[in-house]
Amino acid sequence: MTTLNLTKPRFSLRGTEFTLAGIAIVFYAILAATTHGSVLSGGTITAILQFLAVPMMVGLSQMAVLAVGQMNLSVGVLTGFCAMVCAWLMVQVGLPAWLAVICGMLVGAGVGLINGLLVVLTRINGFIVTLATMTIIDGLRYGVHGTATYQGYAPGLVALGRGSILGIPGVFLLAVLVAVAVAVFFRRAALGRQLLASGGNPFAARLSGVSNDRALVIAHLISGLLAGVAGVITVALSGSVNATIGDDLLLPSFAAPIIGGVALVGGVVSVVGTCLAALIIRLVDVAQAQYSINPQWVDLIIGAVVLGAVLITQLRVVRRRRSTSP
Amino acid sequence: MTQNAPTLSPPPRTEPDRQGRRAPRALPFWANPRIGLLVVIVILVVVFALLRPAFLNVNLTIVPMQSDLSVFVVVGLAQLAALSLGHMNLAVGPMAAFSAFAMGWACDTLNAPLIVGLLFGLIVGGLVGAAAGWTIAITGVNSFVVTLALNFALLGLVSLLYSGFGDGVAFNVHPAGMDTLRNNTFSDYCIGNVCGPPVPLVAPIAIAAALLVAILYRRSRLGREILMTGSNLRAAELSGIPTHRRVIQAHLFSGLLAALAGFLLAVNNGAFSADIGSQFLLPSFLGPVLGGTLLAGGAVSVLGTFFGAALTEIIQTGLNLLQFQVEKSKIYIGIVLLLALSLDRVRHGIAQRRGSRAA
Repeated sequence: MTTLNLTKPRFSLRGTEFTLAGIAIVFYAILAATTHGSVLSGGTITAILQFLAVPMMVGLSQMAVLAVGQMNLSVGVLTGFCAMVCAWLMVQVGLPAWLAVICGMLVGAGVGLINGLLVVLTRINGFIVTLATMTIIDGLRYGVHGTATYQGYAPGLVALGRGSILGIPGVFLLAVLVAVAVAVFFRRAALGRQLLASGGNPFAARLSGVSNDRALVIAHLISGLLAGVAGVITVALSGSVNATIGDDLLLPSFAAPIIGGVALVGGVVSVVGTCLAALIIRLVDVAQAQYSINPQWVDLIIGAVVLGAVLITQLRVVRRRRSTSP
Repeated sequence: MTQNAPTLSPPPRTEPDRQGRRAPRALPFWANPRIGLLVVIVILVVVFALLRPAFLNVNLTIVPMQSDLSVFVVVGLAQLAALSLGHMNLAVGPMAAFSAFAMGWACDTLNAPLIVGLLFGLIVGGLVGAAAGWTIAITGVNSFVVTLALNFALLGLVSLLYSGFGDGVAFNVHPAGMDTLRNNTFSDYCIGNVCGPPVPLVAPIAIAAALLVAILYRRSRLGREILMTGSNLRAAELSGIPTHRRVIQAHLFSGLLAALAGFLLAVNNGAFSADIGSQFLLPSFLGPVLGGTLLAGGAVSVLGTFFGAALTEIIQTGLNLLQFQVEKSKIYIGIVLLLALSLDRVRHGIAQRRGSRAA
């Protein structure tokens, strides 16, 4: 298993990304053909892209910790918590929207930092640490405003969130910008490479002077920050938020990177793959709406896609191993 | 890296107490996480009882707490079965829901008696678990991914099935004995003036399950081989253990126990409904992890799982009586989880240092 990311990660990733792009295009073409072109209309495209932003962010948030071989179970509830804090700052405290947005993202980064520090200081498995912080944040999320809803805040922010440039929604552009930044970080920045080195082989990374502890803390920090961005996007997009936001984000946050070819053992990331996987999941949603089929089919199909994607990756590894060993 | 050392000795952590004196690097008894848990439980019970005397009210608190605890102990055991391999089962909830559907369907459509429905559901749960285990063993895909996919798939499937066969969300069937199981305690059965203790009828089912799992992992060859597989797959394979089969069997047990948990919850709720298992994921990890079961595999603690589940249940009930909202009480459960595990590490560290100095 570990040889997967140690041998030639580039090729296997590129393969997965091409496959995913192909699947997305074919899927979209089928949708366009069978719905008499209704998914080609501007309004539908805008809606598809608008609600792609949050899944992209939570997928990348999970990917950041998977890069160092950790998991972050608090991604979903943290998104909801950041959204609630951001709305609370605007409605109750009366902060201007831009400041509340920044604070919302900082809360995410702060929780991520705490996650990372707890993992490093206590040496408890990251899965368990984030299980505990997930439980705590779940409580805090309800603590902000109970089960009530915040609405009618900052019309400017909501207009910005729902606005679009040349038919492309603003929130989607923001998500793409963030994704590009994450991609550049993992591909070009020394710190990003150190994270991947630490995730791929902690022992080797330590011998080459990389601090594994720092890598863990930074990965969790980035994960929290991206969850904060997802929360802020939710605030800007929906116009009203309550404490149930984030309930249904945890498992999709794993689905996107796993379909996108990110290994759970660490050392591999694929920003393009994760975003494409989020798009495919979004298209399944769209198909459900277009054909007005039972929404429960969506979960069933996503399950099949997750397993199928992983099996294909696994087959490829087996085939490569067979071709290299005489 | 350093954790590899203890896993090489065959009987890992399940029997540290018995060999305590002979083994040179053994830990003193207070390094045992179960003792710490028990102390915390006793302290919490005293505190809650002092703050709210209603906490000791038999009918209002003690009996419902035991019913809930029965469910969560079995849920914890379902996760423990997967953890014994170093695997995870993210699909405990949907497995329970799917099995509960099978039970409801058998009782509703086939007019089967409750016990037949239960057996049918257990078989279905076991088969689903075995299918997950088979996929993991054959493809070598991480158990996390396989059960994540299964979680999605079953979640969709269960809702579809209920809308196809039931009335959309539940089966409106009450087979004979279900309401008795739900409402009665042993104190309802008297011989002369001597009545049973105020223990709900579902509790013995959970206790029996826990005992069977404990015997499986402690005494049976199958259980020991599963633990070996979990602690070191390669070594187990080289010692002639059919590891593929053991992986499938451990997941089969996980599915079986998830089905039993689904049954117990259905009995407690009074209906086979689609929302069974939707709250299982978190408690399934809380019990075993608090009780000292390792995520890395190869070591389990059934008694610890029981204590872990009991601690969670006591905190929840106690805070509920103190009129905390359910959601807010989660803050404290999370903090207790972190504190318990951190203290565990500290205690373990001190114990190890003392042990090595004495040796």
